[in-house]
Amino acid sequence: MPSDPIIQVRGLTKSITNGAHTVEILRGVGFDVPKGQFIAIMGPSGSGKSTLLGLLAGLDSATAGSIVLDGEEITGLGEDELAMVRGRKIGFVFQSYQLIPTLTALENVLLPHELAGGGNGRPRALELLESVGLTGRRDHYPIQLSGGEQQRVALARAFMARPPILMADEPTGNLDSANGAHVLELLLALNRREGTTLVLVTHDAALAAQAGRILRLKDGVVVGDDLRA
Amino acid sequence: MHSTALKIAWREARASTAKFLFVILAVALGVGALTGVRGFSEAFRGMLTRDARKLMAADMTVRSFSLATGEQVKAMDALPNIRRTWITETVSMLSTPTASVPVLVSIKAVDPEVYPFYGEFKLEPPQRLVETLDAGAIAVSDDLLVRLDLKLGDSVRLGSADFRIAATVAVEPDRMAGSLNVGPRILMSRAGLDRTGLMVEGSRASHRYLFRFDAGAMGVEQARGKLKDAFPEAQIIDYRETHPLITRGLDRSTKFLSLVSLIALIVGALGVAMAMHSHLQQKLDSIAVMKSLGARSGQIIRIYTIQTLILGTLGGGAGIVVGIAVQRIFPQLIARYFHLDPGFHWDPLSAVQGLAVGVLTTLLFTIPPLLSIRRVKPSLILRREMEETRPGWRDRIRHGKAAMAATALILAGVLGIVWWLSESLRTGLYFVGGFTVSLLILAGIAVGLLWGLKRFSRSAQQRMPAVVRHGIANIHRPGNQAAALLVALGLGVMFTLTVYLVQKSMLAQIASSAPPGMPNVFLINITAKERDGVAALLAGHPGMQNRPEVVPLTAARIVKINGAPIGDRQLKGFSRRFTQTRSVSWARELPPQSNIVEGKFWDASTKGAAICLSEDAAKTLPSKPGDTIEWIASGKSISARVVCIYRSDSVRIGSNFDFLFNPGSLDGLPTLHFAAVRMQPGQIAPLQRAVFSRFPTVTVINGADVLAIIQEVVDQIALVIRFISFFAILAGAIILASSVAGTRFRRVREVVILKTLGATRRRIGGIFSVEFLILGLAAGLLGSLLATGFSLLVLKRLFQVDYSFDPVPHAIAIGLTALLANAAGWAASHRILQQKPLEALRGSL
Ligand SMILES: Nc1ncnc2c1ncn2[C@@H]1O[C@H](COP(=O)(O)OP(=O)(O)O)[C@@H](O)[C@H]1O
Ligand SMILES: [Mg+2]
Repeated sequence: MPSDPIIQVRGLTKSITNGAHTVEILRGVGFDVPKGQFIAIMGPSGSGKSTLLGLLAGLDSATAGSIVLDGEEITGLGEDELAMVRGRKIGFVFQSYQLIPTLTALENVLLPHELAGGGNGRPRALELLESVGLTGRRDHYPIQLSGGEQQRVALARAFMARPPILMADEPTGNLDSANGAHVLELLLALNRREGTTLVLVTHDAALAAQAGRILRLKDGVVVGDDLRA
Repeated sequence: MHSTALKIAWREARASTAKFLFVILAVALGVGALTGVRGFSEAFRGMLTRDARKLMAADMTVRSFSLATGEQVKAMDALPNIRRTWITETVSMLSTPTASVPVLVSIKAVDPEVYPFYGEFKLEPPQRLVETLDAGAIAVSDDLLVRLDLKLGDSVRLGSADFRIAATVAVEPDRMAGSLNVGPRILMSRAGLDRTGLMVEGSRASHRYLFRFDAGAMGVEQARGKLKDAFPEAQIIDYRETHPLITRGLDRSTKFLSLVSLIALIVGALGVAMAMHSHLQQKLDSIAVMKSLGARSGQIIRIYTIQTLILGTLGGGAGIVVGIAVQRIFPQLIARYFHLDPGFHWDPLSAVQGLAVGVLTTLLFTIPPLLSIRRVKPSLILRREMEETRPGWRDRIRHGKAAMAATALILAGVLGIVWWLSESLRTGLYFVGGFTVSLLILAGIAVGLLWGLKRFSRSAQQRMPAVVRHGIANIHRPGNQAAALLVALGLGVMFTLTVYLVQKSMLAQIASSAPPGMPNVFLINITAKERDGVAALLAGHPGMQNRPEVVPLTAARIVKINGAPIGDRQLKGFSRRFTQTRSVSWARELPPQSNIVEGKFWDASTKGAAICLSEDAAKTLPSKPGDTIEWIASGKSISARVVCIYRSDSVRIGSNFDFLFNPGSLDGLPTLHFAAVRMQPGQIAPLQRAVFSRFPTVTVINGADVLAIIQEVVDQIALVIRFISFFAILAGAIILASSVAGTRFRRVREVVILKTLGATRRRIGGIFSVEFLILGLAAGLLGSLLATGFSLLVLKRLFQVDYSFDPVPHAIAIGLTALLANAAGWAASHRILQQKPLEALRGSL
């Protein structure tokens, strides 16, 4: 092992009770991710990928099991502590962009930095916008941007606070193939430049092929873990 | 961190200006009413203090209802370097050869050489008082000229003398310090008053002595002490204080109107809470995203709290501007009641106070929606359906606790605000209690109404046109908050309508339901010489509905009961009247419709002075047969034995004396007679003419005229209350508009879908109109129901007046509310209708 794993997952279980029914979405998932790895999580729709990612990011709490992020145990943390962990350690890219509609592109990018209470973040935000080719659109509102452009803003936002881990949930799922390819290219380039650990959820085999490792999920359990070149 | 929250809050608010405009307006109305009322009150008070000397035309005044005795005059003469002038005010009849009926007027007699010590008395055409008033010339208020169709130079008869009208009164500095305010005003010299023959010993009049302190005079406090010793019963005021009567009235009305304004403000704050709620509802995604980006709940709450603060402050700021307008309109509203214009004087303290109350109230009512931010799960962004899952019992109880804590906080906050505004914890508790109960009832009925509407529209589905069905369905649209809206609008309607109903019932009560046989004409200032003549005239006059009674009156004051000074009895409040100089009468026989409840009435064999007490006096003093009461009347001491207690079932004024003496015991005292008759209204004017021609110094008061004066005062007060409570209605309408604006996204989507399905704009407009109309009707109904209950309560409990239901005001109120709701709804949604389907579809993605 070159270094300590940055993500450690042990016996992760998530079940949801809805009335009399209990649905087990994740059933004992466990794996480690070393620092700097690009890992793709694949699986058919409904296999629990998004749920897993949500738990990794502390967006939801697990029913059982443990998650250690960058040496910090996050299971059992309170809402606000989780929020701080997210702010410091995780960047996020969603399938449906999730920009704040009332903020401009630049303001959206600045947001994580401002929430963390940093100093002047403008130079970095502008630089990131430039890397995603949107300098000219910085004062536009999300509604004035195309889907691909919105997702590029989201990319810039995800890297803004220099998180050690980046999580992406089907970031190209809502985009046509050309735009999807462009976004992915930018994502990988930024990831290399910033040296981030990338966890990418996708059901697109071509996309997953670029990853250093593929974790396969089915019905809430890990059914495959391929380390590549 | 604060600056970041502020930055984000500002950016966020900037993108929702249209929606927030209504919220700001609603707060502005409440704050405006509040600062307007308080600003006016402060300006008024400021003027009272600043112009205290002018307002009483002196440094110090002594007011008494009896003529100064020789000793009192001596005491006043003994004040060195203090000038003095004497003013007498009374009422009388005035007529002209051409007038159809003599007019009741207020007379003020002054010494034009020295009056007024301060301020300027202005006449029209401009001339000096001293050159105008002489024994034969008077100045009159211009309403007299209008009423009797007179012009300057004409001659009028006052009492038994003729006077020439030399000028009209333009400005009278000490008008508010006077006491009698009935009918047109007459200003004359003392020589003129003497000529009228009105003032005889015992005449009802108010005497004011005005003092001016020259160099070398003693201190104000010392002089005041000396005057207090000389005039124990008189009211003494000096320039250092504001006129107690005016101030008390001002204080009471300010406090009351502040509370009414506060209701408008709370309605506004409710609107802010509703707007914030729907705002946050739309922001669920953004909140979840922010949380996933590392924002803590506290940070996000801070962002939206700051946004609320911005809204409250902007609303408050706009409210200060509205308040200035209110303050400007106010003097016009009360011009006829208060004959003073305080001038415009902006009071920054009231403005700051209003702003603080506005921001605080807004914040308080926004606590529940703000707290709900904590419940937004960040995992929401990964999955939509989470929103729909019902929270478990444990969560609900936990939220219930938070909601209860928030409610308690709101109530405590409102209590604090009312306490602060009214300076009374009791008022605060009553206000909060009453408000909570009304709110609960309103909310209960509102929910019931909405439920019924849903049921009705379901069962009547097939028989209703589609437009109506769709409109009703819209009311139940998620996020529409129809119940809260009904409460807000209903509250405004309830308040305004209640004021109207109470006012109307009170006046109706005074006017019509007076017990039969109650006198409607009163004759005062009848001398002993005139007594028999007046009695004969009355007896022979047509249209009398009961036997006229003429009773003697003299002024007397109780000094001791059974040797103990009356002051030892600690009579408080209204009971204190028994310690002051009062009108007493005597009678040979027990008045009709009266009976003795204790003791025995006098007869020819009764020796010495004897008194029969009314039940009320006997209970209040208290006193019983066998007691000895010592009196002082016009400087003479009288000791009288209590022989009986009587009860009168009669409504006749003449038989309701608290103290009735036996014949002879009051002999030698200045005595005037008083008559009260019940007659056909059509015969009153001929009687007034007949009395005036034979007994010009006898004053005939028509009950209907008095009623008109009361009505005028009540109308004036009601106008002011309605003006302020109108703000509450307006705030309710604005909330409707803001709620419509708040559901804008849903509406746009709906309009677009309907349009794609081929609906015309007309049809969509129809659907919206039905929705607003029904909401307005329901709110009007709700308000009118509660107004009925409230009026009943107020009238029965507070005024013991019957409430008679009249459907007309209710129908008008409901109709107007529906109209208002439609106007407000359309003001907020006309733009939605213009929406092009494509734009909206793109925007909603
Ligand atoms: N709140 C929930 N209530 C009920 N079922 C849920 C809930 N959240 C997720 N699920 C179910 O869990 C399974 C996994 O969902 P998800 O993690 O979104 O899958 P994926 O992202 O792989 O498509 C799905 O069958 C989904 O329906
Ligand atoms: Mg998914």
